[in-house]
Amino acid sequence: MVLRVDYLARETGNNFLRNPTLTVATVVTVAVSLSLLGAFLLIREGVDGFNSRFQDDVEFIVWMNADAAPENVDSVENFLTTSLTVQRATYIDKNATFIEFQEYYADQPEVLDLVEPEQLPTSFRVVPEIADISLIRALGAEIEALPGVSGVDYAEEYIKQLNDFTTWASRIMIFAAVVSALASAMLMYNTIQTGLFARRREIEVMRLVGATNWYVRIPFMMEGLLQGLVGAVFATLSVFALNQAITRALAGENSLRLFESFALSTGSVLLISLYLLIVGAILGGLGAGIAVTRYLDA
Amino acid sequence: MIRLENVTKEYPGQTTALVNANADIGKGEFVFLVGPSGSGKSTFLRLLNKQEEPDTGRIFVAGKDIGQMSTWKVPMLRRNIGAIFQDFKLLPTKTVSENVAFALEVIGRPRSVIRTQVPAICELVGLGDKMHKYPGQLSGGEQQRVSIARAFVNRPLILLADEPTGNLDPQTSIGIMRLLDRINKTGTTVLMASHDRGIVDTMRRRVIELSHGEIVRDEARGVYE
Repeated sequence: MVLRVDYLARETGNNFLRNPTLTVATVVTVAVSLSLLGAFLLIREGVDGFNSRFQDDVEFIVWMNADAAPENVDSVENFLTTSLTVQRATYIDKNATFIEFQEYYADQPEVLDLVEPEQLPTSFRVVPEIADISLIRALGAEIEALPGVSGVDYAEEYIKQLNDFTTWASRIMIFAAVVSALASAMLMYNTIQTGLFARRREIEVMRLVGATNWYVRIPFMMEGLLQGLVGAVFATLSVFALNQAITRALAGENSLRLFESFALSTGSVLLISLYLLIVGAILGGLGAGIAVTRYLDA
Repeated sequence: MIRLENVTKEYPGQTTALVNANADIGKGEFVFLVGPSGSGKSTFLRLLNKQEEPDTGRIFVAGKDIGQMSTWKVPMLRRNIGAIFQDFKLLPTKTVSENVAFALEVIGRPRSVIRTQVPAICELVGLGDKMHKYPGQLSGGEQQRVSIARAFVNRPLILLADEPTGNLDPQTSIGIMRLLDRINKTGTTVLMASHDRGIVDTMRRRVIELSHGEIVRDEARGVYE
């Protein structure tokens, strides 16, 4: 059986334009649900990147009192360099701390004027031998007890907080994406049913003269596919825009370098876009295919 | 060409449409199905192109048991069975030639075939000069000719006609019957459901009479009653 291209193009086009309001509504809901899905993928990718950066580099920071005596600093350094559980410890002295401080408050010179290097606390950046949280905790507690130490910050704490937040955020997003995807699938189903109803006389004749079910089905599936794809294109644009916004926010002077894994490369965003286009096409084509099959079997 | 073996068809909650029907119809025959409304004539026809499925019994078309036929072959069966109706079932937005061409187009016939076949069949049914008119611009008799052209353009083995003259005046009906007779003479088996006594009595063809779903008479060169 030959499915002629002009027939296909004509029928698909006619169907697509038959009911513009319903078509627009369908495309918009598809775009919204796929945008949510895209945002979810974007953030998940960022969290993955974030976690992998810390996986092999679990770090904690030992803060000294600003007025700690040099011998206290020496004893902490001694403790760290001799400890078997510490792989590497770097001392950030007052000048280095001041330089970081200057970078951090570059746009607030009035803050810089108030601070002298002498007033700043020094610190050790510690990379433990093993990335085991309970061991790191035990080590941290030991160090905290040393004289002159004001406290220990664990990177793991920030990671956990961030992961908790992103887990919730992405749960909400995936829930919203699924709900709106269901809504768009139902709307798609309805749009196709409306199209089937509008063409019921033609379909009756087609079946009577021996057109195959696929011949009837394919233009409607193409219509659904097209609606899914157009929606996915809009979703792709919004994902690109979102990534642009994140990238711009992270490029600011005040931003934390910690989060820079949330700005995805164009390649990653393109991959997400590809997923969205595939999901849109499947959503549309399959929804329409089911609608036609149910109509033909009724 | 067509054989029914003990075919029964019931519609849930309604009267039985066909009870234990047996019939054997040979190639090239012209058969009238007669009987009052609701006697099972339309069901008889609808079973033959699988618009309906029998509850029990077997139906053979061109030697094949169509009850055993897989779903994807049904369109192929229908390409060999033309069908016309009391209400014509023409597409109002297409012209005469587009309506006829549609039947060829949707079964994937090449354009070159459509270009030659459509004018030829329109000529055959006597509408050569009205090919570009729309169904709404034609009389009832002319519309039925278009539907015959559409049913016959694929040269089917069998033509099913469900009350084709039901909406037409006697004079117009005679014209339609002449056309069906011509089609029958090309070797196409014609089955026509009718309660038009005048037509059945004039044609003197085989008559199968149905009453409450049962075949009560099967007579060669019969009359309506």
